[in-house]
Amino acid sequence: MAAFEYRQATETAAALARHGCRYLFIGKSGAILLGFPDTTQDADLFVEKSPDNGAALVAALREIGFDLTDEESRQIQSGKDFVQLKNGPFDLDLVFAPDGIERFQDAWQRHVEVEGLPVCHIEDIIRSKEATNRAKDRESLPRLRSFRDYLRLKHRL
Amino acid sequence: MADAVERIPSEWLAEFEAAARRPLATRIRYAFIHTYKPVLDDARFRAFNTTREYREWCERNLPDWLGYGSV
Repeated sequence: MAAFEYRQATETAAALARHGCRYLFIGKSGAILLGFPDTTQDADLFVEKSPDNGAALVAALREIGFDLTDEESRQIQSGKDFVQLKNGPFDLDLVFAPDGIERFQDAWQRHVEVEGLPVCHIEDIIRSKEATNRAKDRESLPRLRSFRDYLRLKHRL
Repeated sequence: MADAVERIPSEWLAEFEAAARRPLATRIRYAFIHTYKPVLDDARFRAFNTTREYREWCERNLPDWLGYGSV
């Protein structure tokens, strides 16, 4: 399995857009797209949960090289909260119900575009990590909060 | 606002500024890495009905040092 690359980010965004899928980059991968200097191992997408959006997501994922069986596709479309994919060109987590964010639409209204990539607002990324409260989130939160302060100064976010 | 900036450790501030000067493609190249994670990487597909189920699965199955357990 290779690490996520810029080309894959743009191809993923293009495929998801072609199929009309509503999603946002979230988690540390989202923060990195916003400019957060750190490392991570996979990309995380917050995907709006609906049958139509699930079908659009599956079509796009297959197009970019994820090897999804019919059963796996059915599960993605059936309203699961969390799906972990290691059957494609890069590791991808599909998050349909992130901790700390009530509704996709709320996050969408606050989202930021980074070179055509839709990314959760840094406040939502932090809120989600605070709510999840894993050891690895606890470690990254002080630096993420400092990064939020930096973005506020730089972009008046 | 000035207070918030003063609270940012100078080393981190320098890193934020440096990252902001890099193109997105470079930031992605530096940031996304891949190393083997035991258990987590041993299945091609996992799906959980609820986020809570996923967290509980992580608690039960993943080594503590991966950091996926709740604090």
